[in-house]
Amino acid sequence: MSAITLTDVSRSFGQIRVLQDIDLDIRDGELIVFVGPSGCGKSTLLRLIAGLDRPTSGSIAIDGRDVTKVAAADRGLAMVFQSYALYPHMSVRQNLAFGLENARMPRAEIDARIAEAARMLEIAPYLERRPGQLSGGQRQRVAIGRAIVRNPTAFLLDEPLSNLDAELRISTRAELAALHERLAATMIYVTHDQIEAMTLADRIVVLRAGRIEQVGTPLELYNRPANLFVAGFIGAPRMNFLPGRIAGSADGRSTVELGGAGTMLVEKVEAAAGDHVTLGVRPHHLRLLPAGGGVAAEVTLVEALGSETILHARTPDRQSLLAVLAGQQEVAAGETIHLEFDPGTLHLFDSSGLRLQPLQRDSGAR
Amino acid sequence: MANAAVGLAARAGAIILAPVGWLARVLDPPLRLMQKAGGQNGMVAFFLAPNMLIFGIFVLFPLVINIAYSMTGGSALFLEDRVFVGADQYRRLFTCGNYLDPGSCAEDLFWTAVWNTSTFVVFQVALMIGVALVTALVLNRDIRARSFWRAVFFFPVLLSPVVVGLIWRWILQREGLLNYMLHGIGLDPVVWLVERDWAFMAAIGVSVWAHVGFYALILLAGLQAIPKDLYEAAEMDGTRPARVFRRITLPLLAPNLLVVLVLTLIRAVQIFDEVYVLTGGGPGTSTLFITQYIYEVGFASLLRNPGLASAASILMGSVLVILTLAQLGIARKNEMRSKKG
Repeated sequence: MSAITLTDVSRSFGQIRVLQDIDLDIRDGELIVFVGPSGCGKSTLLRLIAGLDRPTSGSIAIDGRDVTKVAAADRGLAMVFQSYALYPHMSVRQNLAFGLENARMPRAEIDARIAEAARMLEIAPYLERRPGQLSGGQRQRVAIGRAIVRNPTAFLLDEPLSNLDAELRISTRAELAALHERLAATMIYVTHDQIEAMTLADRIVVLRAGRIEQVGTPLELYNRPANLFVAGFIGAPRMNFLPGRIAGSADGRSTVELGGAGTMLVEKVEAAAGDHVTLGVRPHHLRLLPAGGGVAAEVTLVEALGSETILHARTPDRQSLLAVLAGQQEVAAGETIHLEFDPGTLHLFDSSGLRLQPLQRDSGAR
Repeated sequence: MANAAVGLAARAGAIILAPVGWLARVLDPPLRLMQKAGGQNGMVAFFLAPNMLIFGIFVLFPLVINIAYSMTGGSALFLEDRVFVGADQYRRLFTCGNYLDPGSCAEDLFWTAVWNTSTFVVFQVALMIGVALVTALVLNRDIRARSFWRAVFFFPVLLSPVVVGLIWRWILQREGLLNYMLHGIGLDPVVWLVERDWAFMAAIGVSVWAHVGFYALILLAGLQAIPKDLYEAAEMDGTRPARVFRRITLPLLAPNLLVVLVLTLIRAVQIFDEVYVLTGGGPGTSTLFITQYIYEVGFASLLRNPGLASAASILMGSVLVILTLAQLGIARKNEMRSKKG
């Protein structure tokens, strides 16, 4: 069990700064997910923690002990690689035993640990097989087993589900969550899939271009994204963004003009009249108005999934909107619809993309 | 800019390829006619014919003739002038008081060559694989100017064997470069190519130098095919370097090592050109190998005996066939294993 602290960690490859000034406290026993688009530095950050790579500057501590210059093997961590990195010429049993033999552990202890991991992961029937004779899901379990037998202070998982098919990914995700519950170990999990992040994480670290954009629980990130990037990255389908302008402020309220789509009254924000802002609304928070009013938009595509209907639409000033509506809707492409949203679910961002004050609940779209 | 360059390259390509197009247009009608007449299988035979003809004239025919020669006697060159002697030539090669003592054999030079070649094969193959493996391991590391070093080790492979022999004779001869340098630092010169053991070692060393780049390249390809992840997993597992080499690198390199083993074995049994130029088989018979024996008995000596040379070459060929079959078997096994993945 361990807490991991990163202080001012940076990593450059030549001129390219892959990670910049990362400060992060990973709490004992939590499952923390690093999420971000390809190339955001999340895997590099994991490798720095693992000790497979060294930071250019800054320090890494595990349980208060500075391990910045400590070899990977001496950090007490175990890693599950994206490719699983199982030794192809060894049986599953030999794969699990390999690291323990390095530590010159007694044979009986090794056998006991393998038996325990095999039971926990249900891989006992394959112990004498080689990785090439296993399915993707089985290999994945062996890779996790190899980490478990070492009884590490923390688990590092690098996109462990990315090589599995969709169905297996969902079931394995649930198993990983159960495993974390059971082992109560610190787990650092890297993924580019925000759904994996939302479902697994105690806390999520959103990374972009080598910097931390926001750290928080999944719902904090969903409900109060710190900036446009996080707002767009967390939540599926992606949040709708509409450009707007502060028309004026009075009585503690601000009026926002939404191009040709109408105006809104929101709780006063720290922005002057004339400032450009971006208004964010999640597709699930849009409702269809039977008659006029709200934001008018022309439907471009209807995806009827049975339990819900996804509408792709375009506002008069050619902003695209996505609405996810419950049930089945009698709407056809080409029709003009009117959408409204509960102001309590709206997000407002200033011209530099940072979150503005929360919107007031009792004002609606006009 | 880039677009213009691409356009220019495309135009240049079109100009260069234009004659190919004309040729195709000229050849097309007769080929179509032939295919109509002969069918698809007929076309296969037609396209294979030139190569089969060359193979037949230069490989298959000499092989058959060679077997015929090995059963004839005398020094006449043409087969129709030669006397049929059955297995006499083979009997002569195998007439021996004690095979380990060439002096007791009817064809003492043959057995000298056989034992010289055997000794050469054992030491040369061991040294070759060892040096190739070390070279590949070093070249696989993140060293400075890696491409340059790779070229340096591969370069001798491009040289003609005669050039290799001449270069090293120039270095090792009595008044050669090496002795000049030894003299320069105040050491007594050594007559490298005149002392039996030194000459034998020189033959091994020079042939290793000339070919090691090729085998190092095969091993290097094998090393690069091993996923980096495995080494990182081993690092996380706290594996010591020697154990990483023994338990991960060597087993995963085994298929390539086997290929290299068989290829070096075949090449070592055939050893001739660079050593012939370097030592001429001497001093005495200390670097006389089988191929040189065959060449001298069949063509170069005053008392030439083509029948005996043919018989010896058939024997050597049999050994090579066995080694080649072993190599094919290994290659097929590797292929099946990689398919099973």
